[in-house]
Amino acid sequence: MTADFAPRLARVLTEYCRPVHPGDAVLISAPVAAEPLVEALVEAVLRHGGYPMTRVHLPNLTEIAMLHASDEQFDFIDPGLMAQIERADIMYTILADENTKNLAAIDPARVARRQQGQRPFIERYLARCDDDSLRWNISAWPTQGAAQDAEMGLVAYREFCYRACGLGHDDPVAHWTALRDRQSRLVDWLAGKRRVEVRGPGIDLTFSIEGRTWVNCHGIRNFPDGEIFTCPVEDSVNGSVAFNLPTVNIGQELHGVRLVFREGVVVEASAEKGEDHLLAQLDLDAGARRLGEFAIGTNDGIDRFTRNILFDEKMGGTLHMALGQAAGGAGGTNQSTIHWDMVHAMRDGGEIRVDGDTLYRDGAFALA
Amino acid sequence: MLDNFATRMAEVIAGYSVGIKEGDYVVISASTTAAPLVEALYEVILARGGHPQLRLSLPGLQELYFRQASEAQLTFTPPTEEVWINAVDVYIVVEAIDNTKSLAGIDPAKLSTAQQAQAHIVNTFFGRLGAGEMRYHLTLWPTAASAQQAEMGLHAYREFVYKACALDQPDPVAYWTAFRERQERLAAWLDGKTHADVRGPGIDLSFDFNGRRWVSCHGTLNFPDGEIFTGPVEDSVNGRVAFSYPSLYMGKEVSGVSLTFKDGLVVDASAEKGEDHLLAQLEVDAGARRLGEFAIGTNMGIQQYTGNTLFDEKIGGTIHMALGRSIPESGGVNESTVHWDIVHGMQDGGEIWIDGELFYRAGEFMVG
Repeated sequence: MTADFAPRLARVLTEYCRPVHPGDAVLISAPVAAEPLVEALVEAVLRHGGYPMTRVHLPNLTEIAMLHASDEQFDFIDPGLMAQIERADIMYTILADENTKNLAAIDPARVARRQQGQRPFIERYLARCDDDSLRWNISAWPTQGAAQDAEMGLVAYREFCYRACGLGHDDPVAHWTALRDRQSRLVDWLAGKRRVEVRGPGIDLTFSIEGRTWVNCHGIRNFPDGEIFTCPVEDSVNGSVAFNLPTVNIGQELHGVRLVFREGVVVEASAEKGEDHLLAQLDLDAGARRLGEFAIGTNDGIDRFTRNILFDEKMGGTLHMALGQAAGGAGGTNQSTIHWDMVHAMRDGGEIRVDGDTLYRDGAFALA
Repeated sequence: MLDNFATRMAEVIAGYSVGIKEGDYVVISASTTAAPLVEALYEVILARGGHPQLRLSLPGLQELYFRQASEAQLTFTPPTEEVWINAVDVYIVVEAIDNTKSLAGIDPAKLSTAQQAQAHIVNTFFGRLGAGEMRYHLTLWPTAASAQQAEMGLHAYREFVYKACALDQPDPVAYWTAFRERQERLAAWLDGKTHADVRGPGIDLSFDFNGRRWVSCHGTLNFPDGEIFTGPVEDSVNGRVAFSYPSLYMGKEVSGVSLTFKDGLVVDASAEKGEDHLLAQLEVDAGARRLGEFAIGTNMGIQQYTGNTLFDEKIGGTIHMALGRSIPESGGVNESTVHWDIVHGMQDGGEIWIDGELFYRAGEFMVG
């Protein structure tokens, strides 16, 4: 059923997500586990007249560096990599971890030290992403590691990813174009609205969106995609939520997270599993106790929780909220070193009202 | 028995061949098929204080590229190539062939176009190498395809490579150090001599090497290794050779190659198999019709032809000659983008006379 996965995905990536034009230098960054997709992408890029550049990773080298590298080695920045990031017009990053826990036993201080050393590169990359001179996209290729996290066999997980990417539709590009247009109408309707009320099993929350923008995520930067989000006015969030799905943060899995907000700040927090981790993260900085994002997942091809945020936050029939740093593009001002998305299912009687009108009920939009 | 293959090999390459020092910027160019050796090299380079970076390719990409690339794509130089060739201290290439015939169906004109477009990279490479600004190393990791090419099983082939690299010696670094000293004595004896006559089954060739150097190859540039070579004076080569071994160049096999030289130029060329390819390569540029190298193979651990130049040209008891570019170390001045080594057996009474003195007979050196 998924034999044509790689060429179909490559087609959507190069024709819909980040279209390749003649003369574009296209950087493809991927672990070797994503080999079928890399091949299909190189072929598609060549067909569109672009210049493919591949950056292929071996699964164990980051772990080896974490175990053995000195500070001088952490600080070394490959001039070749810098040249690639300067020259690229498009960058496809493909996630394909064979072991999603390969750094679980590494001292977090070592991980942070390496990130600090690579900062000149990361900053240059982010600057080029921010001004859109580098058209970036992050997608995923199914691996045993990701299937194991999802508690699925690889064959079933591959089918799940295939559906999540809308590749089962006769014309996936038409499918994504329709999703974009549908979401565009929702975002237009939401423009200028002021007050959001979210009610249902486990949730009773209100906040203001006055002056904020709703952003349509339809496959440009992430693939698969499917959400609309905004940033609540920082001190306007009131009420409580008892998340009915697990959440993963820095390799820790938490269950039964419950948060109470008063005037934008988390004033009560608990979890059935992982409460220590939750409380420690909330105390990291002043912005960690505020919401940086409120979003509605719209991808009906994603019908289960798989412990991979690229998929989970887009699940149809859910909403998610992020503690910490404001998501870009919506006018939010909250600042924090964390941005922690938590997902809540809305299919069983959840409702979202905007300025008194019902926008969303039982996991589906009531408007547009 | 070969559990420690990758580790032992990496230790000889990093410790003896290229001598990794603290702060060395090292690029490892390899196919993902060589992952065990790449990982071992990465770890030992880190341990010696170097900065290892990877240039990894996937097995199918080169074929895909040559099948599909347009003129503009064939002549595109990725920015990493420019940066790496100008900035690296050490460049290590690990050959790990997945299919020795992967380019068999490609139009030779496409290969020449790509070759010519990369000429400036090749020139920079040889320039920096000649000036001692960078170290280079070429080695091989055994694959099923190279075993198949050698008409052996993978396990037998692995043992063959292991022995060719002298990794079965108690102290491989001591073995290669002694090997180097022996060859340096031969090169010293040849220093100041002027004329070579090569006679035997299938060969009757003479050339001058006055003003040229004989270079000992003992594992610095290639691993495994074992040859001494010079650059014949460009217009002094006369005679003919009917090569007793087949040869593989740019993925294509030729056999029964017969060349006649007059005043340095190939004036007659034929092959029993692959003659088209031979004649096309002779036309690539003006230097392709001249000899850039004459060499004697000295690795007695290699006794069989395996269809891989890295091994074949070092077979103890053979000589080889390269059409095309000289290696600057020898003092040769021939320029070309081609450098094609072809091997001839001397085991059955082949002789090399130097300035009238018998220097070599049937695989044995008669001096030094």
